[in-house]
Amino acid sequence: MALSQIIKQPTMKLLEEKFLALSIQSCSAIQSRNKQVAPQPRLRNPTWLTKKNRVIHDDFLTADNAQFVQEVIKDRYDVPPKVELPKNTVEWTPKLKRTGVIARKIGELPLWLKTGKKISTTLLQVLDNHVIKYFTPEEYDPPRKRPTRIKNKAGCLLLGAEATDPTYLTKEYCMLFKNSGVIPKKHLARFFISPDAALPPGTPITAQHFSVGNYVDVRGLTKYRGFQGVMKRHGFKGMPASHGVTKTHRRGGNIGGGGEKGRVWPGTKMPGHMGNRYRFAKGLKIWRINTKLNVLWVSGIAVPGATNSLVYIYDTNLPRRKPSNPLAFPTYFGLGDAVAEEDIYEESLHRFSDPTIVFQKE
Amino acid sequence: MLYISRPFTSIITYLNRNIHTSKIQCEIQKQTRLRVVDNSEIGKRAMAEGRPPKCIHVYNKTGVGRLGDKVLVAIKGEKKKGVLVGLKQNQKVKVPKFDSNNLVLIDDNGTPLGTRIHVPIPTVLRTILKEKTIAKGTDYTKLLGIASKFV
Amino acid sequence: MLVSTIRHFKAVNYHARILRTFSSQIKGQSSRSDTSKSLSELRNVYVEFLPDPTVEFRNPIREKLERLDMLARRGQIDIPEFYVGSILAVTASDPHSLGKTNRFVGICIKREGCGLRAKFILRNVIDHQGVEVLYEMYDPALQKVEVLRLEKRLDDKLLYLRDALPEYSTFDPDMEIEVLPEGSRVPVNPLKVILKPKPWLERWERQNLRGVQEFEISERDKRRADKVATPWLKYDLMKNYMNTIPEEEQNEIFSEIHEQLQQLELTRKKLKRKRSFVKPFKLG
Repeated sequence: MALSQIIKQPTMKLLEEKFLALSIQSCSAIQSRNKQVAPQPRLRNPTWLTKKNRVIHDDFLTADNAQFVQEVIKDRYDVPPKVELPKNTVEWTPKLKRTGVIARKIGELPLWLKTGKKISTTLLQVLDNHVIKYFTPEEYDPPRKRPTRIKNKAGCLLLGAEATDPTYLTKEYCMLFKNSGVIPKKHLARFFISPDAALPPGTPITAQHFSVGNYVDVRGLTKYRGFQGVMKRHGFKGMPASHGVTKTHRRGGNIGGGGEKGRVWPGTKMPGHMGNRYRFAKGLKIWRINTKLNVLWVSGIAVPGATNSLVYIYDTNLPRRKPSNPLAFPTYFGLGDAVAEEDIYEESLHRFSDPTIVFQKE
Repeated sequence: MLYISRPFTSIITYLNRNIHTSKIQCEIQKQTRLRVVDNSEIGKRAMAEGRPPKCIHVYNKTGVGRLGDKVLVAIKGEKKKGVLVGLKQNQKVKVPKFDSNNLVLIDDNGTPLGTRIHVPIPTVLRTILKEKTIAKGTDYTKLLGIASKFV
Repeated sequence: MLVSTIRHFKAVNYHARILRTFSSQIKGQSSRSDTSKSLSELRNVYVEFLPDPTVEFRNPIREKLERLDMLARRGQIDIPEFYVGSILAVTASDPHSLGKTNRFVGICIKREGCGLRAKFILRNVIDHQGVEVLYEMYDPALQKVEVLRLEKRLDDKLLYLRDALPEYSTFDPDMEIEVLPEGSRVPVNPLKVILKPKPWLERWERQNLRGVQEFEISERDKRRADKVATPWLKYDLMKNYMNTIPEEEQNEIFSEIHEQLQQLELTRKKLKRKRSFVKPFKLG
């Protein structure tokens, strides 16, 4: 028995309509009292966002009933949703924008090149990404309006990652996943894509969405460091420890001149909050992909965020690091019957199962 | 552990005052004492007298001497040039680190003043010195010929 | 005089080794010849398979991938069991040397890091010049790692050899492999080194060293050493717990890689037997 059969259809529909009204179309016309060109964008969370400190109340379910609920969940979500692949796929061109993925930063490891050089890499595990919904450029109506005129309008793809038990989630949140047939996910992310790169709901996205040797941009939430002084926040030098210096060892010193410019200029580096912001690490090379565990090895150890934190991976937008070979577009759908290699390495990389590096005499 | 305390601490302080205590990174910069490891006459005498040469200039942009860098030293009242062939500082993987900062004296053409280096020198120097040698300029690779052992 | 003392120590060491061999035979303790090693032995032999215990850096998937890579590398090169204090010969590919390989013999004075980042430092005195080389255990340019003398010392780090008399870190580069009798335990060398007078690279009087002979120290230094000493730290159970991998997790890790490790040991044994067949020991 499916969950939808238990709940009466009209109620469901009503809720859904309500929710849609709340989340996506709720942003009413912008009031412009003054002759402002661009009204101040109002930042707010989407209405469906669950509050973090939600108390999960006891439902007083009997053991039988709890088991029954679990069975229903299993019935509903055990079989992955059948996805009709887009038929008329477009060949990839550098102008097209594909979707990104939700991943987790799982640590840093060294790798060696065939020349014997050691490189340090960060491991990013691509989570169980599924497409939840696609908003066409016309449909997409964000709560925060962008004042700029957009020439090539992008669609928005909603991705979810990390399946979880729906009984712990609110009804409203679970409704988001209803049409896709995907089990409710812990994390959601939106990715702006070209309309040609649209994917039907329920499509899984794996690590092979990216290919070895290409470059990616990784976005993550940097570590929160609180209110910090200028030495830590901006790398100032501070002042001497001795030689008559009193009480100004870690202070910034002068913050501006006098006279005509007798004020603090905007952008002056001063103490303040540090970290807990979304930041990009751009142009990271993919060295190796593990297709079994969906792990990418990307260059560098400067991926923002702590280990085990979420990151979002995009194709790079750096003009010189655009891929030369066509990418898997709109995403990687598998090679038919052929099974992909477990570990895909970049050409110049030494595999650990390869024999020892030996240099040839000239 | 058992400590034997020594009544005559003055001796230790005297010794302490005489030794050179550079930074913890063991960087070679101006005023650093070096050890001549070739058998050039001036170098041998300076080391035997207990007046090792002092670095008075490092010929690079950072002012910190690395492996294979050319330095100017003050030795026995003279100014001589030399090449660093072994450092106390922590080195990269597979590059040897030595217990002393070793120096080989050369002249302006890169010809070593001595005829033999009596300590092992790192093999990386081969590549480093080859890269530093400019055609028709100073030929640093000459000192590789007088090395007795490579590590 | 010093040479004679060293000889004396060597003799002591030899006797200790024999004694240990006998005692292990008598008690019938778990021996190294046994291919199926117990957990505690695996933990000592393959230390670097245990991950960094810092909680915020841990991730089970990363650790698993790391272990797979380590095993893959160990399939290509035999990295034998060794400890701080063992004498090793490392042959590495070197693009700078003429023969394109480089062999260095020395005593292991430090082991650090875990996983693919594991490294060790070898020290030797060549032509009266102290030389130290840092090697990474999983560096693909390492061609061969031989243990010339397998033994432990009284301390976990032998960095004080830098300030000890050069005799203590001088080893013959053409040293022969000293074969331990089958089934014996790893001997502990009770050698106590003599430090040079101050100045030192570190304040050894503060480090509670066991492998160092009594040395003279000023009253002031002694006072300061006593002041900064933290003898209570070993009773800080929470700190110890946070700095180690719990035994249950160790069991998990080693049960996962146990089979592969056993395979590696078997291949090593076969190689060893072959070698011993080619070069039989002289009798009498």
